[in-house]
Amino acid sequence: MYFKKIGVVGGGTMGQGIAEMLAAKGLDVLLVEKTPEKLDYSYRMIETSLDKQLEKWGITQAEKKLILNRIQKVTHFAELSTCDMVIETIIEDLDAKKEVFTQLDQVCPSHVILASNTSTLSLTELASSTKYPERVIGMHFIHPVSKVDLVEIIRGLKTSDHTFNETKRFVEEVSDKKGIMVYESPGFVTTRMITLMINEAMHLLQEGVASAEDIDDAMRIGYNFQHGPLEMADRFGLDSILAALERMFREYGELKYRPSIVLKKLVRAGQLGVKTGEGFFKYDKDGDRV
Amino acid sequence: MNILVINAGSSSLKYQLYDMTDESVLAKGLVERIGMDSSILTHKPTGKQDVTEVSEILEHTTAIRKVLGMLTNEEHGVIDSIESIQAVGHRVVHGGESFKESALVDSDAKAEIRRLFDLAPLHNPASMMGIKAAETNMPGVPQVVVFDTAFHQTMPEKSYLYAIPRVLYNKYKVRRYGAHGTSHAYVSQAAAEFLNRPLEDLKIITCHIGNGASLTAVKGGESIDTSMGMTPLEGLMMGTRSGDLDPAIVPFVMNKEELTVNEVNSMLNKHSGLLAISGISSDMREITEGMEKGDPNSTLAFEMYEYRVRKYIGSYAAAMNGVDVIVFTAGVGENSIVLRQRVLEQLTYLGVELDEELNSIRSGEPRRISAANSKVEVLVIPTNEELVIARDTHRIVQASNR
Repeated sequence: MYFKKIGVVGGGTMGQGIAEMLAAKGLDVLLVEKTPEKLDYSYRMIETSLDKQLEKWGITQAEKKLILNRIQKVTHFAELSTCDMVIETIIEDLDAKKEVFTQLDQVCPSHVILASNTSTLSLTELASSTKYPERVIGMHFIHPVSKVDLVEIIRGLKTSDHTFNETKRFVEEVSDKKGIMVYESPGFVTTRMITLMINEAMHLLQEGVASAEDIDDAMRIGYNFQHGPLEMADRFGLDSILAALERMFREYGELKYRPSIVLKKLVRAGQLGVKTGEGFFKYDKDGDRV
Repeated sequence: MNILVINAGSSSLKYQLYDMTDESVLAKGLVERIGMDSSILTHKPTGKQDVTEVSEILEHTTAIRKVLGMLTNEEHGVIDSIESIQAVGHRVVHGGESFKESALVDSDAKAEIRRLFDLAPLHNPASMMGIKAAETNMPGVPQVVVFDTAFHQTMPEKSYLYAIPRVLYNKYKVRRYGAHGTSHAYVSQAAAEFLNRPLEDLKIITCHIGNGASLTAVKGGESIDTSMGMTPLEGLMMGTRSGDLDPAIVPFVMNKEELTVNEVNSMLNKHSGLLAISGISSDMREITEGMEKGDPNSTLAFEMYEYRVRKYIGSYAAAMNGVDVIVFTAGVGENSIVLRQRVLEQLTYLGVELDEELNSIRSGEPRRISAANSKVEVLVIPTNEELVIARDTHRIVQASNR
């Protein structure tokens, strides 16, 4: 299989990151959002991200332009019929995702791999909404996509060996990242471990054991984390963390997954982290701490 | 046999189509500013009118497709169809220690070139794009790779090793490889022919100064030292590359600016050199213009650039205990009268005497620019890497056909 044109469904934080990373690797990307306004917003966010890299000398003006030129804005699923692979990365909502897969199943030829960037949902269940479940697979990228060279590749019950092997090749050769194979289980390896640590950090904060700043410094300096767990949560999006924890809490039924009250409060208040300018910490529009 | 020679740089692609029955050039040309909306394709068919086409060419595959279109174009073309190109020769910057000479492209060679990406982050990927683009456009046509490092494989250990733990050489082959080898080899030989003296007797300093720049000490026809190192980043100040700097600056800046390895690599390779100091351009022509207009940043950029060339010439004269010939070549070396003048007028201690009149002549021919009584011969010799690549390609493809 030759990977040249990739569809990315959903232009949120992960969709932007995946689209930008693939375009930077030289692939043509069709980015799908529901409305032209949302598409423009996603595109602008990708541009902002590239500008930040330009500022850090990571890319040149020409490279920025090239990357942006490879990303095509699309509002209709039908246009994805020419893609060599489609990656779905909309919100973590089973019904919404199933709806996307049903539609993708209709427009994409049966050999085209349909991947979901889900972190907690069941691939087998997603695949059940399609006629060709053998081509459905999980490809879980980690934020920020352009900097984290790891992808969890998740096999659903009916995912074929061919689909798995081609996806692994795509991850390792085309997108130049390490692919690890995980079996279907809510949260897989990365989300399950990191959300638990983030939740524990929030418990510490709630119990008044240490300040947010000090909790983050403890892990950042003490264990060589690039960001502490609370800033990490702000960057992932607090709503996403809450959704993941709730999902795992329901699936496993174990108390350790019960989301911290602090987290619930912030999400209810609309303080979702970097994307709203405030979570545990405050951020400017470029996503830098203020 | 018709051979297409491709020299894919990061933002440019030079090509020449050779008829090897008489080594004549059927057409040549250049695609500049790849990656920009105003890319320039200049096509020069022999015996026909030159053509210039400005269009948006964002990457190398499109560039080669446009070139092939031009070569077979009814009006500007020189061949009937792409099928009459029997082989393709590519310039590749880095051959590591595994390629001591040119080689036929197969999956092993491609894998090896890819393994060497780390060592030439700006150039080997471009060469690879050239190889892939040629493969896509001309499936089944044999391709040969000619390496810029091959000529420097004669360097002795004392020049190619760095004074860092030996284990790094043993494990990762960290050492000096040099670059522009094909050019340094060609112009040193051409210098000996021009002077009608045996190459074996000469101490030559070859200055290949283009967008990338390197100097080589050629003693008895062999490279004994060269200014580019493990990657093309070391040595002279260049268009967008820093050249020599205190290595401690790298971790210092990475720490202060929280840069990743990729970012610091990109900073040193693409955001430094003339561009960083002048703040205007990476192009010597624009820097010279700026200097003539009195722009202080362009003036400083020029002075730093010139000073570093001169220091390297001095060090190679010391390395060989003397110098018989200094050769200037490549874009800046062949065309910048003012750079050559500034460098040479401060090398009188070596016995260099510049003939200003000869120096100001513009020509495509090999020529002497030193005065008659100069102790050191100073020559300008237009480089011809393409011819060397065509010859190697011809030889290797013929051998593989047998």
